[in-house]
Amino acid sequence: MKNRHSHKNILLVFVLTLILIIGLILSNLVFSPPAFAKTEDDSDLAQTSQTSSQEITLRICNWEEYIDEGDWGIDEVIDLESGDIFGENSMIDDFEDWYEQTYNIKVRVEYSNFGTNEDLYNMLTLGDTFDLICPSEYMFMKLMSEDALTPLSPEFFDETYENNYYIQGVSPYLRDIFDSQEIEGEPWSKYAAGYMWGITGFVYDPEFVSEADASTWRLITNPEVKRQVTIKDNVRDSYFAAVGAVNSDLLRSEEFLTDPNYTSNLETVMNNTTSEEIERVQDYLQQAKDNVYAFETDSGKADMISGRVLANYQWSGDAVYSMDEAEADGLYLNFSAPLESTNIYFDGWVMLKNGIAGNKQKQHAAEAFINFVSRPDNAIRNMYYIGYTSFISGGSDSRILEYLDWNYGADESEEIVEYDISYFFTGDMENSVTDYVLTVDSEQIGRQLTAQYPSPETIRRSAVMLYFPPEENLAINRMWTNVRCYNLENLPIWGWFIAIIIFGLILWVSIKKTFDFFKRKIKKNNS
Amino acid sequence: MRIHFTRKNLGIPYVLFLLIFVVMPLLVLFYFAFTNGSGEFTLTNLTDFFTNPNTLGTLFYSFAIAATTTFFCLILAYPVAYFLATSKLKARSVIIMLFVLPMWINFSLRITALKEILTLIQGNLAFYPFANSVIGMTYDFLPFMILPIYTAIEKLDPALIEAAKDLGAGDKETFLRITLPLSLPGVMSGIAMVFLPSMTNYVVLDMLYNSTFIMGSLISSYFAADNWNGGSMIALILLLIICIFTLLTTTKEEDNKDGGNLL
Repeated sequence: MKNRHSHKNILLVFVLTLILIIGLILSNLVFSPPAFAKTEDDSDLAQTSQTSSQEITLRICNWEEYIDEGDWGIDEVIDLESGDIFGENSMIDDFEDWYEQTYNIKVRVEYSNFGTNEDLYNMLTLGDTFDLICPSEYMFMKLMSEDALTPLSPEFFDETYENNYYIQGVSPYLRDIFDSQEIEGEPWSKYAAGYMWGITGFVYDPEFVSEADASTWRLITNPEVKRQVTIKDNVRDSYFAAVGAVNSDLLRSEEFLTDPNYTSNLETVMNNTTSEEIERVQDYLQQAKDNVYAFETDSGKADMISGRVLANYQWSGDAVYSMDEAEADGLYLNFSAPLESTNIYFDGWVMLKNGIAGNKQKQHAAEAFINFVSRPDNAIRNMYYIGYTSFISGGSDSRILEYLDWNYGADESEEIVEYDISYFFTGDMENSVTDYVLTVDSEQIGRQLTAQYPSPETIRRSAVMLYFPPEENLAINRMWTNVRCYNLENLPIWGWFIAIIIFGLILWVSIKKTFDFFKRKIKKNNS
Repeated sequence: MRIHFTRKNLGIPYVLFLLIFVVMPLLVLFYFAFTNGSGEFTLTNLTDFFTNPNTLGTLFYSFAIAATTTFFCLILAYPVAYFLATSKLKARSVIIMLFVLPMWINFSLRITALKEILTLIQGNLAFYPFANSVIGMTYDFLPFMILPIYTAIEKLDPALIEAAKDLGAGDKETFLRITLPLSLPGVMSGIAMVFLPSMTNYVVLDMLYNSTFIMGSLISSYFAADNWNGGSMIALILLLIICIFTLLTTTKEEDNKDGGNLL
């Protein structure tokens, strides 16, 4: 009797589970996969609610610590000639106020963070919805190719609108890149508006590492910094570094550098994903594994500042942060962009189709947000707060230039050098404009300034790392796993010996246990 | 319909919890493990795991870390537990608390502190990744080994030891023939509590700069690469290993009845 009862309970549990699973699968089918498919049907509904002027909710997902959160100390005022810039409230709060004042519509921002591009992508596939996100270029290329994005409206690109700070102020150099880089025939700029950009390189301690050593990707296998150099715990950054290292001789050869098609050749080499290249990279990274201090995700900055490591593969924005922090402790660090090539990367705002869902009001708020963070004073606030470099050069607004001068300009007492970043303001790589040649302290060269605003020579050897199609991506990920896993083939004989003994022991115990169990059963049945 | 609030109904919240957070994810895991990206049934995830020297190597490496950790935990914990349980110290409970105390401090904080200590000793952590991981894990899991052994020894009927001494057994013999066998259930549960988590606790490895994957990090790398199916299969295999291990280390009541155990 009692037994039958418990059977019933098990059945109940089973049925309940089944219902839950079916519910889950159904809800999944309806709501998420294909993750970004559902869009158009919502738009009618959205349009009807548009007329009533209620509060709009804007869901924004950005990198961690990637926007000014306000609360500056009173000594942190940036006193430019054209006025002070000060982060009192967070950028988000300021945007909400500004939007209501400017457009008379209340907007509430739901702001959240992601840690890596892959995390963001997983969040999206698992059913999170956002209106505005800020992934790196390869991730928005992936989203573009999956048709998951809403294009920016034509009004957004109209320079005559007073509040269109993005299009008025975006650096012509970066604007060209966003117009000319394409995926599946569509330019990036159709969907994406840049936020921050930068290059990759090494932060290093010049006391222990020479500039020449730090100017090549081969630093990561250099025995002189054995176990004192860190690289990134992520496939793409490591891949780029390794490609640079294994092709070092070619990339630095006179012949390659003077080729008329240098730029496109460089891009081809740095984005080579043939199986032979992947194999070479794997071998190289395996070597690197025995030489580096760590494959780090977040600890590299702290380890660099505390002096635990001598060199640190870093994104330029984080490099600026590291150098600033170390300087506060009296440690002077340098930054170098390797001579082979440096990875130029862009984080851009894109609107998600399934978030915006055709709601024009929402799209307006999202685009207004991009414009708001692109207003030169806000761009400066963000740059000051996070260390990265904004897309904004200011256009006719001179505050960015003033800020650069405020930040890096030389005092009379210092040794002065000229630093030309005209390309950033004019988009012209060849000709320099005297207005955009900064007079800076010579100590700034090779430090924060060159990390935040790379020199034209560095820019010339920068390469964009493209979005790899799924099969190549899979192959690279597999390569990465191979690098990181312990390969059974490396196991020495004694290791096998111990393994076999332990395995035999386990086997013996389990056989004995089952044997005992059956023996007892037989005994029980007999008695 | 009337609702009876019997004692049995008190279990409903837990059953629901179990269903939603244990049974369901498990079934989802099964589903992913035996399908490919487009949802068709496949066994390739399984065969991939057992034909790739890297994934097998990871399994081996995790085993090696877990086994070494368990070994050191046992060596450290048994004497401590034995002396604490058999001593007549008044402050016994205080000392036991001192061993449990670290568990009240946040785990990442403890590992960070350990990191600093190890850096002081070794100068540079990165030269001994395996040893450091084992030290970190041992540090982290030691209380889980001490407590069950302590309880097992403490529960021992002193009459048994007196009887052994009465019958002429020396200290050594008493320990070997009475205390040790009777404390084995405690040892076994201690082993289970240390061995299993240390196979997957990759945060310790990350924080102590061991760049080699163990099972936990391997699974998370599969997930990060958007390969939910392969990752699920590895998780499933791990689950299977844990099941086998638990079966081997738990002593059933039945065993105790006629298996020679007196408890």
